[in-house]
Amino acid sequence: MTQPRTASPKPRFSAATQDQLFAYGLVLPVVLLLLGLVAYPFFYAIWVSFTNRVVGNDGVFIGLGNFRYLAGSPAFFSAIRNTIVLVVVSDILKLAIGLGLALLVTQKIAGRGLFRSMLMLPWAMPAFVAYLTWRVLYQPIGGGINLVLTQTGIYPEIVDWLGQRQTAMPSVIVAAVWRGFPFWFVSILAALQTIPGELYEAARIDGANAWQRFRAVTWPGIRQVVIITTLLSSIWTANSFEHVWLLTQGGPSDATMVFPVLAYFGMQTQRLGEAAAVSVAMLPVLAILVIFATAMMTSREEQD
Amino acid sequence: MTAHFAWTRRHILKTSVAGAAAALTAGRATSSLAAPALVKGSKLTYWGGLIFSDKANKLLVDTINKWGADNGIQTEVVMINQNETVQKVSAAVASNTLPDALDLSLDLLMLLSRQGVFHTVDEIFDSLGKAQGGWFPAIASASDTSKVAGGRTGIPYGVSGNLLLRRNDLLSKAGFKNPPTTWEELSQQAAAINKPPLYGLGLALSNVGDGNVQVGVLQSYGGRIADDTGTKAAIKSEATREYLKWVKAAWDKKLFPPGNTTWDGAGDNNAYLAGQAAFIANTGSVGIAAKSQDPELYQATLYSSLPGGPKGVVSATNTNLRAIPKSSKNPDAARALLEFLGSPEFMNAYYEQAIYGPVLQGQSKLKAFTSGDPILSGLLDLVVKGTAPAYPDVYNTAFADAYNNFVVPKMVQRVVIDNWDFDRAMDEAQTVTQSIYDKYK
Repeated sequence: MTQPRTASPKPRFSAATQDQLFAYGLVLPVVLLLLGLVAYPFFYAIWVSFTNRVVGNDGVFIGLGNFRYLAGSPAFFSAIRNTIVLVVVSDILKLAIGLGLALLVTQKIAGRGLFRSMLMLPWAMPAFVAYLTWRVLYQPIGGGINLVLTQTGIYPEIVDWLGQRQTAMPSVIVAAVWRGFPFWFVSILAALQTIPGELYEAARIDGANAWQRFRAVTWPGIRQVVIITTLLSSIWTANSFEHVWLLTQGGPSDATMVFPVLAYFGMQTQRLGEAAAVSVAMLPVLAILVIFATAMMTSREEQD
Repeated sequence: MTAHFAWTRRHILKTSVAGAAAALTAGRATSSLAAPALVKGSKLTYWGGLIFSDKANKLLVDTINKWGADNGIQTEVVMINQNETVQKVSAAVASNTLPDALDLSLDLLMLLSRQGVFHTVDEIFDSLGKAQGGWFPAIASASDTSKVAGGRTGIPYGVSGNLLLRRNDLLSKAGFKNPPTTWEELSQQAAAINKPPLYGLGLALSNVGDGNVQVGVLQSYGGRIADDTGTKAAIKSEATREYLKWVKAAWDKKLFPPGNTTWDGAGDNNAYLAGQAAFIANTGSVGIAAKSQDPELYQATLYSSLPGGPKGVVSATNTNLRAIPKSSKNPDAARALLEFLGSPEFMNAYYEQAIYGPVLQGQSKLKAFTSGDPILSGLLDLVVKGTAPAYPDVYNTAFADAYNNFVVPKMVQRVVIDNWDFDRAMDEAQTVTQSIYDKYK
């Protein structure tokens, strides 16, 4: 006696759909993690910026109240201007120094390995140590820079580097560039090493001079890395708190006030909503910087 | 209690932990409060305020641990840098991870008491006051949270504020035997010995707590942050103009050390210790540092209360307190600990190492304050003569906000750094202050 054959049930999903579901299942934990660790805090901070939340009290929705208060604060406009100046100028200087040094150490020079390692030292140093050291160097009395200038007769007067409007921001920028250029250097160096030597050889045979070789071979080879480095560096510099705080606390007279320091003052008064509003207000500034940098780089790429 | 005053300093240091623990265990010799039930084996976490004196920090940790061991409580003491208390406590409130008891400033206690974060501790406050001659009236008044929290939420344990430190070696040679009693006199004395790299006036004009000494100077000239209702900014005034004239004149005479508009919290300390400033306003931490690092400078330094202006002396005191969060899992043990830490045995040993003035009348007779230590004598003087926080302004959250946003130092920076005229600087400060006060309407 044979058992009647029963038709096997039709699968609920097609094989292709099952594959898709399986793939989604695999990425789901990462998506949840990203939602929990990135998206939730991000949108929560935006929500808090629209409340009058203080420490110990969740507060209530106050619309644009915090932003209106910020818009009336002279320190806020100083923070916008200073953040843009700090990011743009320090990025340009870091690019110039990082690129120059990367090009230099790709040459066959004695002690190249040691030189490369030494150039990474500023980045390896803890930020607070680096900036406190710069603070000591900038000291009007007994500071290293003034000592060198006065002892060598280059400039006989003592300069209050951090205490004057004209010199405070440039001094902060110099310290920030010193600490940040190694990242540019190592990124560009890595990109330079991916450019085939044959391209340079071919360019030489074609009679290209050094500048032409740089424009036709080097720059196209490192451009994408420079774009990414610019974006990352802009975001890090704009978000960085310790360089300004340890050097000037935003002074004198708001000459070096930047968003993170302004947000910190909000935290000091336990007004979390206000502090969050400062951070949220920084987003458009950052976005403009990032879009500007990207557009500039990509337009050059298209022209080329 | 008098028996304890006769003890030597070393004896008190050695035995304060054991002695005070024994006193508590043996039936509360120091106060009359009934002992709360302590659960053996339970845990208690304490956040202590880390101060400049390592000895004082260690004494606090050891004392609490010894008390825990004697009472069968597992104690964990975490010392928090006082500059970071606001951030750490704020985060702990948000995440409901506050300790069982903690040290904090009056500002933070007031703010969090409004949010109902702390237990009331009236019985401990009354008990300690009764046992030790009563609280100093200004301390009792300033720390009263009854209106906002339905009772007292903090037990004061120390008063800090600014003393005027001066280089007596240089000043006496210049004929100044007595400390300046007015800000004008201070400028005159400073000018007389101003000889870069030694500068006369080591006062911070930067965006840090030391910069806010200028609030008191402004108030001593009759200037105000806000009116008597505590709602309307009142910075722009003739009194403020007079104050700005004083600062600008001193600035133009180059009496301030270069860099003082961006000094960090240790700027005046460093300048004084490096011999770059003849006068500074400081809590006394410089004296402690000089004692060990530069005994010659320590000997050459004299201490006095801050000078006054046309409206008298305004020298704000800051009270430090201990509190018990409502989230404490061991409030009875925390109450017992707070009462224990208020004992004269422990507090005498603590005051000898720390840089706090007394809070209880009986504490002024402790050996710490009668042995002639110039810093502690100055702090005792500060407690007696000092003014309440914000005085003559109204002490409210708007004032604290303006204070923490450095409205007055920033106004001064506009004058001395940006060369703004007084009216323009006052107008900006007035607008900024009003917008701060408007947030709290």
